[in-house]
Amino acid sequence: MECPKTMPLDDESRLTAAVRDFFIAQNAAELRASVAKLPPNWRDERLHDADWEQTEFAFNRLFVGPMALEAPPYASVYLEDEPQVMGKTTMLVRSVYEMIGLVSPWKNTLPDDHISLELDAALALHRMLHAATPSVRGQLQELRVFFLEEHVQVWVPRFCARIEAAPSVTPVLLCMAAALRQWLGTSIARQG
Amino acid sequence: MNHSAVDQAQKAIGCAMSRRKFLGCLAASGLLAAFPGALLRPLEARAQGGFQEGLEMFRNACPRNCYDTCSIKTFVKDGVIQYIEGAPESTFTDGGLCVKGYAYTRRPYSPDRVKYPMIQSGRGSGNWKRISWDEALDVIAKKFIEINEKDGSMLGLALSKYSGNFGITNYGVEGMMTSLGYTSRFVGTPCWPAGIDAQNYDLGDMWCNDPEDLVNARYIILWGANPAWNSVHSMKYILEAQDRGAKVVCIDPVFTQTAAKADVYWEVETSMDGALALGMARHILDRELHDREWVRNNSLGFEDFADYLRREVTVDWAAEQSGIPAEQITRVAEEFATAKPASIWIGYGMQRHVNGGASVRSVDALVAMTGNVGKAGGGARYGHLRTWGFNYHALLQKRPEGAVGFLGTGGPMGDFDFTGDVQDEYTDRPLNMNKTAEEILTADDPPVRVLWVSCKNPLSQDFDRNKMVRAFQKPELIVSVEQYFTETVALSDIVLPVTTLFEEWTVNVSYWHYWMSINEQAIKPMYETKSNIEIAAALSKRMNELQPGSCTFPTDIDTKDWLAREFNQGIYDLFGISSWEELKNGPVKAKMHPASWHDLQFGTPSGKYEFRSELCAEHGHQALPKFKEGRKPYDKLRLLTPHTKFGIHSQFVNIDWMEEFNPEPFCYLNPKAASERGIKDGDQVRVFNKIGEVRLEVKLTEVVPPDVVMMYTAWFRNNPYNCQNLVDDEASDMGAYKTGMPGVAIHGQFCDVARA
Repeated sequence: MECPKTMPLDDESRLTAAVRDFFIAQNAAELRASVAKLPPNWRDERLHDADWEQTEFAFNRLFVGPMALEAPPYASVYLEDEPQVMGKTTMLVRSVYEMIGLVSPWKNTLPDDHISLELDAALALHRMLHAATPSVRGQLQELRVFFLEEHVQVWVPRFCARIEAAPSVTPVLLCMAAALRQWLGTSIARQG
Repeated sequence: MNHSAVDQAQKAIGCAMSRRKFLGCLAASGLLAAFPGALLRPLEARAQGGFQEGLEMFRNACPRNCYDTCSIKTFVKDGVIQYIEGAPESTFTDGGLCVKGYAYTRRPYSPDRVKYPMIQSGRGSGNWKRISWDEALDVIAKKFIEINEKDGSMLGLALSKYSGNFGITNYGVEGMMTSLGYTSRFVGTPCWPAGIDAQNYDLGDMWCNDPEDLVNARYIILWGANPAWNSVHSMKYILEAQDRGAKVVCIDPVFTQTAAKADVYWEVETSMDGALALGMARHILDRELHDREWVRNNSLGFEDFADYLRREVTVDWAAEQSGIPAEQITRVAEEFATAKPASIWIGYGMQRHVNGGASVRSVDALVAMTGNVGKAGGGARYGHLRTWGFNYHALLQKRPEGAVGFLGTGGPMGDFDFTGDVQDEYTDRPLNMNKTAEEILTADDPPVRVLWVSCKNPLSQDFDRNKMVRAFQKPELIVSVEQYFTETVALSDIVLPVTTLFEEWTVNVSYWHYWMSINEQAIKPMYETKSNIEIAAALSKRMNELQPGSCTFPTDIDTKDWLAREFNQGIYDLFGISSWEELKNGPVKAKMHPASWHDLQFGTPSGKYEFRSELCAEHGHQALPKFKEGRKPYDKLRLLTPHTKFGIHSQFVNIDWMEEFNPEPFCYLNPKAASERGIKDGDQVRVFNKIGEVRLEVKLTEVVPPDVVMMYTAWFRNNPYNCQNLVDDEASDMGAYKTGMPGVAIHGQFCDVARA
């Protein structure tokens, strides 16, 4: 899974959106559809040959339930001493969204620090910066640096490690953990 | 909004301008529109109320199966619970919660919650798919229609529900069953049935004094109860009574935390409580310390009882049976009879035996013969349901037109049977809750085709677990309504995520104290959770779409409105309020005399306290509170499975804060029994008997007698431990009269232990 160091904007956005959609998928069809959205240079063989029903079972064991999650997709679990959602970390992430005028459609029913919402915010920041006027660009950039470096970069590698070590992990899930790591590397690199 | 989080983020971005101005600039730049396919939405101006700094307070109530039913204040900021505390308005809760209660904030926000409706591909396989509510209810509704067509009734649908959530609107689960037709119901109670019947034979109802009135007692016997762990708020009244000079005696086979607080502790031979009470009664009679006037005016059959005592009971015999020295029996008997008022708290532990009802009757007799019934500071305290007179609006649903049911039963459908006196041609089919496994395996015509489980964890709490695992292979569909992935969910086909107390409206009262608390919805239901009555409504909607008229449950409900519908003038009068809305100001206490039976008008056929109960005899028991033998031992050691401090049945032990104190199960063994078996403290042992075994670490301790193995009833999320591997479904003597089925001899169990 080689990835160019400076990915064209389109590809980075496509990668972000695909990974975002993957981690919030509700069934095998959505998992498969999200993987299909990956940029062409990300089409790993393992993704083509996947058993999507088994992937769905494994995905649920790691991220959804009903059993205790093998790799909870919430930042709080990795950043707080006690693995509870809706605490300090969730609220910090919520405040970041609100600073850029965004709010989760599932406010107070799904923790704001779900990986897919955070990827969505990263994508929004990326796009906003691209279009921002000089009056806000500086602050947006500062916010992006804060969000990615002080928050996302701290927990996402731990999340990926948890996925990789999960008893139920499958090739597709490993592949998407790798995609997530790669996205992170690229995004951080882009900050300069 | 967490203020420090905002501060932190603002500080981090070095925000020179205000948030409002920054947002204004973003808007002016045209950057606040949603991107196609994005998840996050533009923040509407009015939604910026999210930055509010104040805490909102909501009223909640602990709905668990616990004496204390605490009144809770919940503090919420930006829609998120920050902390909870005990409501000071209830003098019983008195501003404090228990160790479990303080962990409540962990429940809605645990990452391990059951979040979505899910369906298992192969029962027990662990292969789950997330499905929508519509899909889940479609599968269930079609199955209901199928079994109704196949059997000509809904009797193939069985409900397993008990005490996981006592919020009154949760009786909507039973209401949902009724609204589908005549179904099968697991009837009875594992907890306290023998004692309920015993008190009904003696007094005409189960009705305890106000626990706050314990301060007025001058002598207190805590008999088979461990309030220091299981009713922590009651302890302050016991300690206050002690400070005022009352003597406190604790009788228990195990040296509990309560025993440690008592003035006298008796390590009674398990199941010999009746013999001990009768020995005390004989001594009181011999010393003529009984209350002749009270007995003459207010009781029936005392002379027969006295004759029995003189003829068949001696203090020495009682000492031999109970293991308590005769001189101690006589001393405490004299003290108890002469201290006025004196009270006995009869715990549920002592009646979980094949002679449990008989033992409770003997203890009742001791309280009555000393004239302590009907008096403040007195009483044979067991429990009560005097404050439970709600409308049961959610429960009382109509059957669908033409529904066909079971013929030939009319008994109570449980201890909390509020179905009223409606007599139909048909009834639901009663199945014995205490033999759930056996009933699932053997019920026929029709068999249990669909099992609906709510407010219950049968794989953890019901008896003979190996048989239960076999039983759970039989139904065609098993639906569990749960907050966590229990062993029962693991063996279900569909799990439906249910709300916590913070996410629904309801009202709670206690079976011990006299307070009533509203339970407000403090936060939005997390994920896709629904309350039990919302599930019933959604199911009804789908049933009626598929087959109009197949379910009478309303299809569109509001939990707040349904809470309001539980109230009636009787409840308002009893609690001295004019509207349920007043409960928002805090819990209220029933305007009842602190002493049960204070008017000495008993609910028995004679209207008196009945030492001799013909009704009891008619029901196949002894008319007098005579001694009855316990279960004959079938193995070398007795097994006791009482409640842990860190959980209530299978609830709470899985919560992370509880795990910190109580990370794994242990069994407790006396050093004498251990040395006979070459077992050392900390060894891994195998506890086994005729129905199964458990493997766990042993702790050696003299708090348990040499002939006992003790382990707590609990469900650990990361440990296969289950004490029900060793507890069979042997019936207790009483319970069928008032709860529909006899109880279980939970403490009449035997086993052996060896190094693993």
